[in-house]
This record gives sequence, structure tokens and C-alpha cells, in this order.
Amino acid sequence: MKKPAIYGVLSVGAFLTLFPYLLVVLTTFKTRSDLYSTKPWLPAVPPSLDSLHRLADSGFLTYVGHTALMTAVLTVGQLTFTTFAAYAFARMEFRGREVLFWCYLATMMVPNVVTMIPLFLIMRQLHLVNTWFGLLAPYILGTPYGIFLMRQFFRTIPTDLEDAARIDGAGPLTVLWRILLPLSRPALGTLAIITTVQSWNNFLWPLIISSGDDTKVATVAIATLRQSIGGDYNLMMAGSLVALFPMVVIFLSFQRFIVRSVVLTGLK
Amino acid sequence: MRNRRNLTAYAFLLPSLFGVFAFLLLPVAIVAGVSLFHWELLDSPTFTGLANYRRLVHDGGVRHSLLVTVFYVLLTIPVQTILAVVLALLLNQRVRGVKFFRALYVVPWMATPIAMGLVWSWIFDPANGALNKFLSVVGIDGPAWLNDTTFALPAVAAVQIWQYTGYNMLFFLAGLQGIPAELYDAAATDGASPLRQFVHITLPLLNPTMFFVLVTNVIGSFQVFDTLYVMTEGGPGDSTEVLNFRIFQTAFQQFDFGYASAMAMLLFALILLITLLQVRYFNRRTTYDIS
Repeated sequence: MKKPAIYGVLSVGAFLTLFPYLLVVLTTFKTRSDLYSTKPWLPAVPPSLDSLHRLADSGFLTYVGHTALMTAVLTVGQLTFTTFAAYAFARMEFRGREVLFWCYLATMMVPNVVTMIPLFLIMRQLHLVNTWFGLLAPYILGTPYGIFLMRQFFRTIPTDLEDAARIDGAGPLTVLWRILLPLSRPALGTLAIITTVQSWNNFLWPLIISSGDDTKVATVAIATLRQSIGGDYNLMMAGSLVALFPMVVIFLSFQRFIVRSVVLTGLK
Repeated sequence: MRNRRNLTAYAFLLPSLFGVFAFLLLPVAIVAGVSLFHWELLDSPTFTGLANYRRLVHDGGVRHSLLVTVFYVLLTIPVQTILAVVLALLLNQRVRGVKFFRALYVVPWMATPIAMGLVWSWIFDPANGALNKFLSVVGIDGPAWLNDTTFALPAVAAVQIWQYTGYNMLFFLAGLQGIPAELYDAAATDGASPLRQFVHITLPLLNPTMFFVLVTNVIGSFQVFDTLYVMTEGGPGDSTEVLNFRIFQTAFQQFDFGYASAMAMLLFALILLITLLQVRYFNRRTTYDIS
């Protein structure tokens, strides 16, 4: 293919990729009357902050705060517990290792909605509906996917360093903390980003378990904006902007980690 | 000594083992159990054996949902995969700015599906949405998209394709970069055309990547939920009522947990079957290891 043709195709693709984001920004800063009197792809002059004000008045920022808290706690939990489990799978020999690891991999195939029904029934039995504990518990101990990712990475680190440390009397905790973790920064970064994105975007479980205001998260609040009278697109786009913006910032700051994570999980 | 090593390993694994057991394996066992009961939320459960499964077999709505689900998977997977391969081929060239484009195409992967569902609803808005406004500029009278039984499902599929094509491209790009250049040089010396090279070298050597991408994406497509929830809620009529969504409604809107659990078992079995078929297919075809 000739170079101009390649750039042509890539630019069309880039436009299609970014257009929805552009539309969110444009619509957020329009008034309701601008919305129907202007072309969707043209900006309003001057921009209006009306939608953002109305969004703030609806208590949306509280739910964004809940999302941020949930995301932070789940990311810390995932990094901690996943590291231990992945270390065991990558470096220790114990009875049942292979079987257990395959069990972990197989659980990645279980559809989300299958586990939601019993999890809800369990949480209801334990009176944990609409509590932080109920919201966080299913994800805080790490995920099989994360363990798989970290195990793959740990296995790429040569064992010589560890052997040397062990001869000097270092225990497994010291080896993990002093040797493996410092060498694993890229993988930990990747895992942190993936977990942050997934927690921030999670919808189904919060929808089921936290309909109450004390633990409601942004995704659930956005879904309820949908039911607002008359399809208030300005408000919906303002909500979407607030939800999408942090992820775009995270993406721009860490995109090389994400590209690397693909090479990591890419079947080697 | 050996026992002590075992103990340390189990100690390291304990939290995650507890998580996998309590939040994944135990729930699957519970779903299997609950599917044998008639249980609506406020009643106490009564054991009914296979009654829920007999009801499944005769339920026209479930059959419809199965068809919609399969149709949705067939709408998304081929397009998403082919586009990702084409993009990867383009971005594997040595042209200026490829790194920029590589990163840019991955942006939608992180987008909150619930928020993006709303954004696309606004794009698909029949009267004032960007798509129909644009179509009217070029003289086409666009359909009502999400309010039209024919176009609603393809519209939801388009959002998924938009969201995941770039992310899948990264996997194919990694795969392409693992193919030794000498293979192409040798083929070119033998006079193989670029198309022949693609069919006989690139595609076969991408098999492991293809396997991974197809398996994970098919599992994901069978479970489409968030975008559907905000874009169509299964409608208009029941034209976008995929099985996953019907399970959610049966459990959490009609509170018919026994029957919803039987449906969940059906979905689980279906995903398992399709995945195993893919494993078999690719095991037979992947004869060499490039790593």
C-alpha cells in the first residue's frame, strides 16, 4: 500500500475512534436549546456550564467519589493478594499446583451473570446489600486474570538472583519484597491500570448490590440519568464526560504500560 | 522440609484461594443447586428437580434470546477480528507516526461502557443524532436505529466493535512482530505475491494470537450487558433481548431466581461448549510454536 493511502485509512480510523469523545465534550457545553438548534458536531459559542452545574446539583459528584474510593481499594487489594498468589504459582513447588492453576484459568470462563445471582443471594443472607463490604468483597482478593498476568511476568525473571539471596538466608517474603517486586514494576503498573479501569467501569455488580445512596457508584448513577425525563442528553453527556475523563488521563499517562501488557499476556 | 515448603506456598495462596472459592466456584455450585428449585425472592425455595429445565426447553422467549445472542456474536466477532488484523497490518509498517496511531486506537478500550452506551444513543438519536444529521447532509433518510427492530442489534454491535477493535489490534501487532522477517524474504525470493505471503505465512503464524483473541472476545460477546442496558434495555420489543440480559431481568426484576439460575446454567454450558470447540479447532491447526 502507498503511504498516502495508509495515512488516509489511519486518519479515517482515528476520526471514528475519537468522534464519540468529541461529541461528549461538545454536547456537555451546549444548552438544551443549542442542542437542537446546532449541528451535533459544531461547538456552541459561547460554551455553557449549565449541564455541569445541573449534574453537580443532582449529587453526581458524591457517586464519583464513591467510585474513586472503590477503585483505590480494589486496586490496592488486587496488587497485594495477586502478587502473593502469582509468586506461589510462579516460583514455589507444592502439591496440586498445576491442577489449581488450571482451575484458576477455567474460572475466567464463568459468565459474570452466573455468579451475580448466588453472590446477591449470599450478600442478602448476610445483610450486606447496600454496604461497602458487599460492594468490594467479590473483587478485593484479586482476580484469576491478574494472577495469570503476574505469574507470566515473574517467570521471565531469572532465578539466579533469588538463589543467591536464599543462600544468604533470605525467606520467601524477603525475596518477593526485595528482589522480585522491584524488578516487576512494569507488570505491577500494567495490573494497576487494568484493575483501575475495570473497577472504575464496573456496572453489573454495583447495580445489583448498591442501589442505595451510601454506596452508589458513578456508573449506576449514569444509568439512572438515562431514565431522566425527556432524554436529557446534555445532562447525560455531562455525566459521561465526568466518568470518561479520568480514564483518558490515565490512558495518556500510562499508555506504554498498556501496550506492554498485551505483549505480556500475548500467549508467551 | 517438603511439608514446610508446601505450607508457605499455601499461605501465600490463601487469600486468593478463598476469593476464587467463595466468589467464583461456590457461586457456580449454588447456581447449579438453585436451578433445581422454584424460588422467588420472598417465597421459600421448593425443590422441583428438573422442572426449570423442562420450562427452558418449551420457552419461546428463551429460544428467541438464544438466536439473538448467536446473531449478536456473529455480528461482532468477524468484523471486530478482521478490522483488528487489517489495522495491525497497517500499523506494522514503517511509517512516521505509527506509535501515535497505535496508542490512539486503544483509547476506546478504557471507555466506561455505560457512559459510551449513552454517547452512542445520542449519536443514534433518530431526529437529532449525529449519524442521521450526517446522513441527511448526504441526502439519505436514516432509520430510527435503536427504535427499529432491524437496526437496534447492529447498532449495539457497532459500539462493541468500536470499543474493542483497537485493543485487539495490539494483540495482532504483537503477533506480527513475532514473525521472523526471513520467512517473508525467502517467500519473496520464490516469487510469492503479498497475498500469498499473507495466506501462507502471516495467517498460520498468527494462529496462537487468533486463538487467544477469538476465545476471549467470543466469551465477552456472549455476555454483552452494559451498553445494551443503557442503549435498548432489550428492546424495541424483544429484538435485542440477549440471553445474558434475559437472565438479569428474570433474576433481578422478576425475582424468579430458580428459573434465572437454570438459564444461567444454559449460558454457561453454551460458552463452555463454544470455547472447547475453539480449543479443539486451534489445537489441530497450530503445528508450530514461534516463541
